[in-house]
Amino acid sequence: MLQVQNIEKYYGSKNNVTKALDRVSFDVEAGEFLAIMGASGSGKTTLLNCISTIDTVSAGKILLDGVSIADLGEEELAKFRRERLGFVFQDFNLLDTLTVEENIGLALSLNHMDPKTVQDRVRNVAGKLGIADILPIFPYQISGGQKQRTACARAMVAGQSLLLADEPTGALDSKASKNLLEIMTAMNRDMGATILMVTHDAYSASYAKRVLFLKDGRVFNELLRGERGRSVFYHEILDVLAALGGDVSDVI
Amino acid sequence: MSLPRWEVMSVTLSKLSLRNARRQARDYLVYFVTVVMAAALLYSFNGLVFSGEVRQLSEGMHMLPFVIVLASAVVVCIFGWLVSYATGFMLSRRSRELGTYVLIGLTNRQVARLFFLENLAVGGAALVLGLALGGLLYQILRAILFAMFGLPYHFEMALSFPAAGLTLFYFVLIYLHALGKSRKRVRKMKIWDLIYFDRQNEGAAIRTGKLRRWMFGVSILLGVAGTVLLTAGSLMIGIMGAGCLIAALFGFFLSFASGVPAFFEKRPARKYQGQTLLVFRTLASKLATMGMVMAVISMIFTATLLTEGSGLVFNGIFRGRAAENACYDLYFGIEGEDQDPGPYLEYIDGNIPVEQSVLYQIYLSDSSQVQDYVSSRTVYYYYNYDRDPVLCWSDYAALRQIAGYPPVEMEPGRYLIHCMTYLEEPLGDYHQPIVLGNVTLTPGNVYTEHLSQSFGVGNGRGYILVVPDEAAAGLAVHHLAYAAKTLQPVSEQQYNVLNDIAAMEHDNQVNPSGYGFVSTKANEAAQVAVQTATSVFPMFYLALALSMTVATILTIQQLSETERYRRQFILLRKLGMARQEMKRALGRQFALYYAMPAVPPVLIAAPFLFHMARLPEPGVMVGMSSPAAIVALSFSLFFLIYGIYILLAYTSLRRSVLVE
Repeated sequence: MLQVQNIEKYYGSKNNVTKALDRVSFDVEAGEFLAIMGASGSGKTTLLNCISTIDTVSAGKILLDGVSIADLGEEELAKFRRERLGFVFQDFNLLDTLTVEENIGLALSLNHMDPKTVQDRVRNVAGKLGIADILPIFPYQISGGQKQRTACARAMVAGQSLLLADEPTGALDSKASKNLLEIMTAMNRDMGATILMVTHDAYSASYAKRVLFLKDGRVFNELLRGERGRSVFYHEILDVLAALGGDVSDVI
Repeated sequence: MSLPRWEVMSVTLSKLSLRNARRQARDYLVYFVTVVMAAALLYSFNGLVFSGEVRQLSEGMHMLPFVIVLASAVVVCIFGWLVSYATGFMLSRRSRELGTYVLIGLTNRQVARLFFLENLAVGGAALVLGLALGGLLYQILRAILFAMFGLPYHFEMALSFPAAGLTLFYFVLIYLHALGKSRKRVRKMKIWDLIYFDRQNEGAAIRTGKLRRWMFGVSILLGVAGTVLLTAGSLMIGIMGAGCLIAALFGFFLSFASGVPAFFEKRPARKYQGQTLLVFRTLASKLATMGMVMAVISMIFTATLLTEGSGLVFNGIFRGRAAENACYDLYFGIEGEDQDPGPYLEYIDGNIPVEQSVLYQIYLSDSSQVQDYVSSRTVYYYYNYDRDPVLCWSDYAALRQIAGYPPVEMEPGRYLIHCMTYLEEPLGDYHQPIVLGNVTLTPGNVYTEHLSQSFGVGNGRGYILVVPDEAAAGLAVHHLAYAAKTLQPVSEQQYNVLNDIAAMEHDNQVNPSGYGFVSTKANEAAQVAVQTATSVFPMFYLALALSMTVATILTIQQLSETERYRRQFILLRKLGMARQEMKRALGRQFALYYAMPAVPPVLIAAPFLFHMARLPEPGVMVGMSSPAAIVALSFSLFFLIYGIYILLAYTSLRRSVLVE
């Protein structure tokens, strides 16, 4: 579904170039739940920003269903974001002036979808995510966990095929985090959503089916969960992270 | 559980814009109120442009529409800058939100339209409210004008469609410019820029200490040079002075603002003294990145003070000159001996009912001893007489009575001096006797009421010696004069006829040696009113627009930090800071922040206004128009408006930040 081919990203001016991503390549299959881990400054958010079209790559290609996102014009990009991508950020990025319901349905409504269909879709997804009873109220009146579930609902209400999450549990307490991760797992398992989640938290990553580790802008390890239980996978992740903190040659 | 409402699911761009506009008006209330005031100001002055009754107040008022439209053009530029700045500022504050719209699938074009529509809605609402408020403001202007012309005023509230149309036209210009700019910005912005725009700031312009110190020194020198050049009196040199001052302000703020952190870094003892660290860090974070904005604000401050001060100087000149001339309902003087006042008196007898009048002569003494003395004591004096002017006691007594002054006594063998206020002190010290023919007179009292003493054929120029009638016999006559108290104010048309007689007499060689001069109380009042309306009104209009603009920008900047301040003070409270201490720290931050851009303008404007108020001839700028009063008044007026904004910002910030 998603192919990331040798992408590079540089920041800075002529005399002071920072290489945020260095020849990163990987594929994501439809229906996968992939976590990208790494320390602060490892390039994981930059990678997510490039995939989500928030940022552009300096070299390499990102293909979604065989289409290079760099080749899309403004209109096509907007349509692409609207129909194919869903976003969940650490700080929710909900619009304060809109109710929960309006936040979820805004993109559909602005694109002239039939109001009845919008309403049905919003109610449907809100029911699945357990936020149907907070639909008429404003974001400042709900908890962090509910905000994040609202963001998830917004990210999938249009039937988006790829959900991109940047530290989705970063601003939540442990109970709300667990709740959100279980919802994301259900979205992946029951609704077939493909999820790409960036996190530095091993517990969150253990919910994924596969974990990619980034260090200094490069993919340096990959873990597959396979048939193992979540807690075993969690400990394996911790082991890789311990190695990640030391010399790379200790791990490979 | 309440179910989603059907209608909310049809959120359109315009509905969303309206909702955002409401929030914008609430979050940026000070800005919104200023835009309402801007509309009100523009409408009220446009009201003057289109008012037929205002134009008919006097012939001179025909100039008013032209002058007001010119001033409005400048005011539109000022408000245009304010709206453009505030819109850009809000864009940067809300870029993350706008980025979210793009993220969920809106095109940049749609987001730009959304932003455009909501700002248009805010502008539209401000315009409607402003028109209502402007109607009241127009009535105030009208009442002031009517009072200046001495006419009765009746309250009449009505919408002037041409004035509203012109205000709408100005608003369209203001908003199209500002929104066109932000529209372009949003459309060009990458989604990354939008989401992370609020993290960007104006970079500190001057980074090295050496350059900063050099720039600081040069800017101070340029500031002093600019102020001196501005008061030099020549237009070209004045323009050079203004250039120096602009460069000085930019140099000062760029070097000073980025130098504040460096100053404290090098002096840790000062940094950790009391609340300095807290106040300095909060200010430094703003100042280091606001050098350019502060310089522009300071420049506008300077312009405001100069405009306001100049308005007061002009006002002082008009009133000061008129007060001296307006002491008689009707006065005329004809230069030369044996003049015939016949044509004047004939017209007056036939057309102007007179209650009391006096026809008299102004004589010249045998010497210029008093004039020589006055010249030696004052810097400036007009020499209209080659000898001291003299007036008979009986004429003087009649003149006092006609003007409504209390009667005075003159002892035998003495002479009195009647002079303008500014000569009271030197002439009070004059104790020399005067000799007229074979009569010697010793000095008596000095009187200073207005007595038409500021022109060539008046009752002396600045002063006159009042002598017993018999002492004046045989003295040379300088001119003939007439003063009267009329039953009705002399109309503009009657004044014009008398002036025509004076001109005709001169042209027909009836009075070739000199000229006739006519003045009436009503005409002087009308002249003051016309001059005030056409020059002082526009100046205050400009000054008001300028001061509102800068105060709003500073306040928007300050209030946008409310949330940050709130978090900071919650943390400080947890760290053990007392509420009283926090209040003091907030107060100090506020005082410094608002004082910073106001200090250089005060230093520039004070000497300039002092200088300007000293330029008119002596005797005019006295009392409330004296140089010190002009400076004090213009500063008070400015700081009154500035103070309102500071108080609003401080109260709002204190309420949100220092929560109980």
